Amino acid sequence: MIDFNATLIAQVLNFLVLVFVLAKFAYKPLLKMMDERKNKIAGDLAAAEQAKTDAEAVKAEYAAKLAAARQEAHVIIDNARKAAQAAHDKALADTKAEQEQIIAAAKETIAMEKKKSLGEVRYQVIALSMAAAGKIIEQKLSSDEDKKLAGEIVDSILK
Amino acid sequence: MGTEAAAMAQGAEHAGEIVHYFPTEVLPGVVINMQTMYMTWISMAVVLVLFLAAARSPKLIPCGLQNVMEFFIDFLNGLMEGTLGIKGRKYMAPFIITLFMFILISNELGMLPQVGVHWTSPTNDVNTCFGLSLTVAIGVYIVGVCQHGLGHFRHFVEPSPAFLPLHLLDQITKPMTMALRLFGNILAGEILLIVLYRLAPWVVPELWVMFSLFIGFLQAFIFTMLTLTSFAVAFAHH
Repeated sequence: MIDFNATLIAQVLNFLVLVFVLAKFAYKPLLKMMDERKNKIAGDLAAAEQAKTDAEAVKAEYAAKLAAARQEAHVIIDNARKAAQAAHDKALADTKAEQEQIIAAAKETIAMEKKKSLGEVRYQVIALSMAAAGKIIEQKLSSDEDKKLAGEIVDSILK
Repeated sequence: MGTEAAAMAQGAEHAGEIVHYFPTEVLPGVVINMQTMYMTWISMAVVLVLFLAAARSPKLIPCGLQNVMEFFIDFLNGLMEGTLGIKGRKYMAPFIITLFMFILISNELGMLPQVGVHWTSPTNDVNTCFGLSLTVAIGVYIVGVCQHGLGHFRHFVEPSPAFLPLHLLDQITKPMTMALRLFGNILAGEILLIVLYRLAPWVVPELWVMFSLFIGFLQAFIFTMLTLTSFAVAFAHH
């Protein structure tokens, strides 16, 4: 069962031939492809990592810009609100002032008219009273004291 | 070839042998075990076909056979990088991958059903096992001298010259143990299978075949690992 013969040398040669043929025709393309794949995967992973970092940077930038825009919008709205309030207050105050002025003018006019009318009425009443009294006096009285007395009476009535 | 082997097998059975190598005198004084030769060529053909088919048009996204062969290559590449380093892996990859695949296919060949062809493992022949282990042993010297010049032999006197006898003994026992371990495991597996077929023809031999298939892988792995530790010396930094 254990006898050495030329088979030993033949087996060594067989094995070396197999190594040579496989190294030449099989391993080279296979190992090259495996190395290529390894490099490609490593490269792709690095690229993906880079892309992720870039995307995060862009995202942060957008967030900052958005916050700034929001802040600016707040400022603009506040300013507009203040301006509107100021305009509203001013318009209200102006209107009030004008209104008061008109009322005052109207009151003055009314007072004047009233005074004027009263004056006229008094004059008319005096004249009328005089005329009436004259007629009466023509019949009864005709002294100045009587005229004066009549005027006092008219005044007391008109008050 | 198959029918010839089958005929030879029948002749041998008549002669009452259990394992037979059919030694033939091919040239005057040159005796070759023809059964071992045929089975070696079949193993070589299987390994060649597997790798050439996988490498015919390698794809970046592997599928099918390419995947299987790349699995083996990747597995061995990992072992090689651990023991030989990156440089050593690139240098030794063809040798180590071929060694593992050849021994693996050889070991499993003898477990095929004996239909038409008398299948045996080429590794059940002590000549094959010693041929491989001596190739490894001499290969270590050649690669070591190629890598480090004659400085390669300095490791014989490390860590001190007193270790020289031990190193010399190691150089002889290592190829012997590697060859005899492989030879013994595979031959014993085949003999036991034949014996089991005669003792209990049903179920039991099939269980043993399953276990032997595993042993075939294990022995190929062990032989490859020991080869790697031998070659580690040739790539070590002194």
